[in-house]
Amino acid sequence: MTREPHDAHDDARAQSRPDEVVHVSCVRHSYEDGTEVNLCGLDFIALRGQRVAVLGPNGSGKTTLLYHILGLLHSREGMVRVFGIDPAREWKAIRERVGVVLQNVEEQLLAPTVFDDVAFSPRQYGLPNEQVEARVSATLDLLGIAQLRDRVPHNLSGGEKRKVAMAGALVMRPELLVLDEPFEGLDPTSRETMLELMRDIAAGGTTVVMSTHDIDSVPLLADYAYVLAPGGRIAFTGTPAEVFGEADLLAAGNIKPPVLAELFARLTERAGDGPAPALSVDDAVEALVRWRGGGGSRCEPPQPP
Amino acid sequence: MNIAAIDSSATFGTSWLHRTAPRAKLAAFVFVLAAVIATWNVLILAAIGLVLTAAVVSARVRAGLAASLALYPTIFAAVFAFTAAPDLITGVTIILKATVAALAAVTLVLTTPYPQVFAPLQHVLPTVVGDALLMTYRSLFLLIDKFGNLLTAVRLRSGFSARQPLRNAKAATRALGGLLLYSIDLAQRDHDVMRLRGYEGRLRVTTPRSEAPARDAALVVAAAGVTGLSVLVRVYAAALNPFSWMAPLAALAILVVVLLASRRSR
Amino acid sequence: MSHIHIPDGVLPLWLWLAGWVVALAMIAVTSRMAIAEDVRRKVPLLGVVSALMLVAMSSEIIPIAYHINLTVLGAVLLGPVLAPIAAFIVVTILALLGHGGVTVIGLNTLVISAEMLIGLALFRALADVLGRKRASISAGLATVVTLALSTLLLVGIVWLGGGGDAAGRETGALDPADLRFENPFAAGVFSLGLFTADEHGEEPGDEEPGGEGAGQGGLSVGRFAAVVFTLGPLGWLLEALIIATIVGFVARVRPALVFAGALADERRYIPGDETGTS
Repeated sequence: MTREPHDAHDDARAQSRPDEVVHVSCVRHSYEDGTEVNLCGLDFIALRGQRVAVLGPNGSGKTTLLYHILGLLHSREGMVRVFGIDPAREWKAIRERVGVVLQNVEEQLLAPTVFDDVAFSPRQYGLPNEQVEARVSATLDLLGIAQLRDRVPHNLSGGEKRKVAMAGALVMRPELLVLDEPFEGLDPTSRETMLELMRDIAAGGTTVVMSTHDIDSVPLLADYAYVLAPGGRIAFTGTPAEVFGEADLLAAGNIKPPVLAELFARLTERAGDGPAPALSVDDAVEALVRWRGGGGSRCEPPQPP
Repeated sequence: MNIAAIDSSATFGTSWLHRTAPRAKLAAFVFVLAAVIATWNVLILAAIGLVLTAAVVSARVRAGLAASLALYPTIFAAVFAFTAAPDLITGVTIILKATVAALAAVTLVLTTPYPQVFAPLQHVLPTVVGDALLMTYRSLFLLIDKFGNLLTAVRLRSGFSARQPLRNAKAATRALGGLLLYSIDLAQRDHDVMRLRGYEGRLRVTTPRSEAPARDAALVVAAAGVTGLSVLVRVYAAALNPFSWMAPLAALAILVVVLLASRRSR
Repeated sequence: MSHIHIPDGVLPLWLWLAGWVVALAMIAVTSRMAIAEDVRRKVPLLGVVSALMLVAMSSEIIPIAYHINLTVLGAVLLGPVLAPIAAFIVVTILALLGHGGVTVIGLNTLVISAEMLIGLALFRALADVLGRKRASISAGLATVVTLALSTLLLVGIVWLGGGGDAAGRETGALDPADLRFENPFAAGVFSLGLFTADEHGEEPGDEEPGGEGAGQGGLSVGRFAAVVFTLGPLGWLLEALIIATIVGFVARVRPALVFAGALADERRYIPGDETGTS
């Protein structure tokens, strides 16, 4: 059941690779009310410039995993390393290199205006005023929210708040970006923009670690995915294509595969030699055209019962 | 106490008073307050009240909102006046003082976003207090939303009925208990966020540059004039009291002009 | 019923200035104590509990002019060092909304702080005597006694201020007899207040200090006290019932919050992630 297609895992336990940004190994956490999250199984590893998605049903411990990476929870067992450092103990040493957007964005906006909120971290880290001003303006432009600059955050819509929180996370130009459900509350257009932004960020060398329920965008936004089983065990990993190819494992983990993955799986089921699986609309069109051209017409219309 | 309405009035208003520098408005507020405290002349108080009303009208804030806020303390002042004032005129003076002082405060908060009101206070207060003041206002909105949701939930599950006030109170109390747990967890999450975002003790507020320094100065001078007048009438009461009817008349004229102007511009 | 609904400009200058001085000194001391450790935990907690008190004050549970304060509960959550800071914040925001005067912020802070500290001490003592299982009874009793004491404090402040009459007579109100205003500045701004204080200071226990006008002042305070102590108890009882219910509920669900304060309770609840086991 454990697949390790990613070569990083082969020597993960032995020693860490130089381009390894996050490494979580068999962390257990028990909450005071008795519930326990046991993030054992495979190691969780994110390399420099990778976009890594964490998938899993409700209550599987996605947020617990992210909180360990952020050092908000202390692990009693197991190991957490971010930039080679235990974040629960030495967060101060790495905090300027990590940007975070948590789930409840309205609770994350601390300062009284959008500008002050985005300027929050640079000011706390003691950047000179002109630099703060320049960075904040650039980040607001990057996210297309320059017009919100002087607004009071709680008056913004959910999507706008999310963008402001994102700007606050990006303003320090982090090397690691941790996002908990980054697409909640975004309309389709904003979602597209956000996807594009994340692609650009990762291309610039920033590692992105995100948890998401938005299965359909995983192929578009992640290079790599980890699937948590209920209870927290890291069940399997792989590229989105590999992960969504394992229908049985997904079903066991209560995860519904993306519509396209399901479509192609059904086609293969029905026609024997179905089209090559695709996870984006463009790829799917391409694959279907090729398939039809190459004898796909054998596929018979469904018979009425 | 409709915080959300107050806040949107302060944030989205575009009148001259909204665009005046917050510091100038705060200074003017202090002057007007001093005038209210200094005077025991009903006519002067009425004049200040009329001028403030003119300011509120020209700022185009919701009249109902301003009135309900300014009249709230009137009730308590009335109780106080009824119980402690020796005669009618003193009672009326006490009530007017409360109402006019409240109207001044309300004019300020209805035209100035809260961060800008708190920013100057933050400079004089200890860091913890200033930051906690800003965090309080921020949390207030989160809690009001949450409390509303909790009450709606109780209501939808038919926890409220007109005939059983006791049960209603019980349900509301339970909602308040839920709100308490939520707020403690919220504080914990705020703490997490502050740690993640590197809080080192000091929330900063940017004050926008003044748009029209001349207008700011004019407002402060006018407010100082009101204080001067109020003190003058009190010090030379014997000589000036017979003429104090002129003040409300002038103020009334200002109000009428403003009312006509605002009607024309609409 | 506990914070002063005395409007601006009624109390003499020396009294509300003294209130400011004492309150600011108290805030300076407590905030210095507060920043000694773990500010990051205290600032959000202060903000949240102050906001909670404000929400409670702004919502009328039973639609009469009574509103609850949650002061005792706030103190139980915050502990003695942070309570005065929360009192100051709540009073300041209320004053800006026209809810209680700006000049009396200092005095209000003192009254609410006293209420919070007395309530906290009483609750802790009662919880020790009655046991943890009766936390709601302890909270209710502490609330009633505290509110009675803070109302007494309020009346005391009005008495110190010389009542409405003294304020009216000596500060230049219209004299209804001949429609003339007296000049209150004849003796100077400050001596005016001190004079009032001296007058009461000489005969602190006397119901009828000498002079006709001062006699009226004494009567006014008496009337004020009578009204406040007649209307008050209903409010105290309501508040006590509500606090008792909430404390009982919280003591069942998260006892550490009630018995040790919110700073001691470091539990963590991650929404949506709490069903970790399966």
